[in-house]
Amino acid sequence: MIVKDAVCPFCGCLCDDIEVEVEEGRVVAVTNACELGTTKFMGEKRMKNPILRDGDRWKDITYDEAVRYAADMLLEAERPLMYGWSGTHGEAQCVGVHMAELIRGVIDNTSSVCHGPSILAIQEVGHPGCTLGVVKNRADLVIYWGSNPIDAHPRHLSRYTRYAEGFFLENAFRDRKVIVVDVRKTETANIADEFVQIKPGGDYAVLSALRAIVQGKTDTIPRTVAGVTREQLVRVANLCLNAKFGAVYFGLGLTMTRGKYKNIRNAIELVSELSRHTKFTISAMRGHYNVYGSNEVNTWMTGYPFGIDFSRGIAFYNPGETTAVDILARKECDAALIVGSDPAAHFPRKCLEHLAEIPVVQLDPYPNATTAFCNVQIPVAVTGIDAEGTAYRMDGVPIRTRKVISSDYPSDEEILARMYALMQEARER
Amino acid sequence: MKVMLAMKPAAKWFIPIEAESIVPKNFLSGTDLLVWRGNRELRLDEVFSVSVEGDADRSEEVEVVLSGDTFRLKRVGEYMDGGTITVLGGIGMHCGNFMSGGTIEIHGNADGWLGREMAGGAIVCRGDAADYCASGYRGGRKGMTGGTVEVFGRAGDFLAESLAGGTVIVHGDAGDMPGAEMRGGTLVVNGNCSRPAANMKGGSCYVYGTAQRMIPTFRKIGTVQHEGRALIRFSGDLANRGKGNLFVKGYEYLD
Ligand code: SF4
Repeated sequence: MIVKDAVCPFCGCLCDDIEVEVEEGRVVAVTNACELGTTKFMGEKRMKNPILRDGDRWKDITYDEAVRYAADMLLEAERPLMYGWSGTHGEAQCVGVHMAELIRGVIDNTSSVCHGPSILAIQEVGHPGCTLGVVKNRADLVIYWGSNPIDAHPRHLSRYTRYAEGFFLENAFRDRKVIVVDVRKTETANIADEFVQIKPGGDYAVLSALRAIVQGKTDTIPRTVAGVTREQLVRVANLCLNAKFGAVYFGLGLTMTRGKYKNIRNAIELVSELSRHTKFTISAMRGHYNVYGSNEVNTWMTGYPFGIDFSRGIAFYNPGETTAVDILARKECDAALIVGSDPAAHFPRKCLEHLAEIPVVQLDPYPNATTAFCNVQIPVAVTGIDAEGTAYRMDGVPIRTRKVISSDYPSDEEILARMYALMQEARER
Repeated sequence: MKVMLAMKPAAKWFIPIEAESIVPKNFLSGTDLLVWRGNRELRLDEVFSVSVEGDADRSEEVEVVLSGDTFRLKRVGEYMDGGTITVLGGIGMHCGNFMSGGTIEIHGNADGWLGREMAGGAIVCRGDAADYCASGYRGGRKGMTGGTVEVFGRAGDFLAESLAGGTVIVHGDAGDMPGAEMRGGTLVVNGNCSRPAANMKGGSCYVYGTAQRMIPTFRKIGTVQHEGRALIRFSGDLANRGKGNLFVKGYEYLD
């Protein structure tokens, strides 16, 4: 059987043109997806059933026992942390927020370690963005700043920019210019028309300089700024000013380097400055397929996109204080529920030390680095493969992922809903 | 009146305690106050050994002295409008948030957001202050609007972010981006710091040490004498059409 228009649940491009061939309940071939997407569809070996740590061994337990364990753990905690959420569907994220409010915990998603700074900047100066379709059809200048789509979002270039046709561009490949700004010559830099190499930590200075040059204040700019010559800065500013429609896509090279959200704020303010002369937009290259969705769900339910602390019964938001990395590093929580992410693979050691000390339950189809820190792990269906649900593409467009095979695994939403029901019962008593 | 609060050792010592009820005014009507440890509400005397000497009619006559392991005690002195709080050790985040009067003195270090969005009064920190000292809140346009914050140690990153009024003095070094987005008020860093006054609109920022990684969009005006020091005066941030003043002893670009 061939499933057409399947949605790839891997990166923020959320490609919705994938063809998946299924035989006897297994994916045997994938067309249109990039290598990353294909690997995800083909799947790895999944965990069979929930497991409970028993000394230094694992014991098989039932779903009922696992759900009960998690509910009790969260109800007992004085400051439970519920982290992850970018690798699951919106419906599960909704249950997560309800749970956080009921048990008065902290709910945070992986944006706090990727594009959280982008959101902080947007909260300061707004977001002049647009959908990917607009860029594909109109943009005659695309700037990748601190992002390397060839590695991280392979089809971004072919579906929307460098190699894509554009409705309002006569010859998109010729008429569309690509600028890459990065600290090293990435693979994406090799296919750019202009490559700007910045010294590490120098993005902010370069962005400030560009803003001043666009305002005609070139005379105050030093001869080189963070390794970039004034001549090149002027050339880049002119390329921007001469574009009919420019689009900036930034990645972790801008959000997670020195200055963090101030870099993004500066980039947004450059885009606003350019929009006094021509049309310019800016957007984040969101990583996990539904990290944008976790921001959306959290925002419509609590008013805040990530790092929400319900300890006091109302939502309090303060990244740097109410975000998972900070809470774990400061040992400020006493239990953790991990859903749809693998913090042990990315978090600093200090955080993992605390994770090792407190009870941890994880919902994940596969054994991963975080498994080593778990007291209980509950295998679930994979959204977009054997579970369906809503995800948000990197440009904020909601797309319903499809089920391509059937399995006996419950979805994240089902498991969380069962935990939530137990918690409601306990609280009513 | 002197209120002595000595922190009791707790089993779950790592869970932070939010204690915005600890402001001098509240002690005029007794010590029957509540604080929060995580999601649990506790009586003040479950967390502290409380003792009171003398009495008072006005906040100004109240002195609160905090001792013990208070580095995880958050929001002490929030909305304080008079009186004195003395912290013998270190203090947790958000100490003196929104305060409009009175004095807070911290003998140890202060954690993040010391004196956030402060409008008046004085904070003295004898140790170091962590990030976002005398700053604003996420997404806010104005940070501190009045009063003074003086730090004798060093300050972390984003000191006095969005400063709009009042005075902030740091005797040691400051971290990255002190005075970012500042629009008014005065910021003085006695030591070194990196990227001061980024994107400033107005106000004055003084760096008596070296401004490292100086933002390239400040226009050099010349040398001025200031309190016995020769300082280089810049105006900016031009990128933000700013008209602020930045005075530095020395500076280096990331060129
Ligand atoms: S670009 Fe991203 S969404 Fe598209 S197929 Fe590749 S991994 Fe999947």
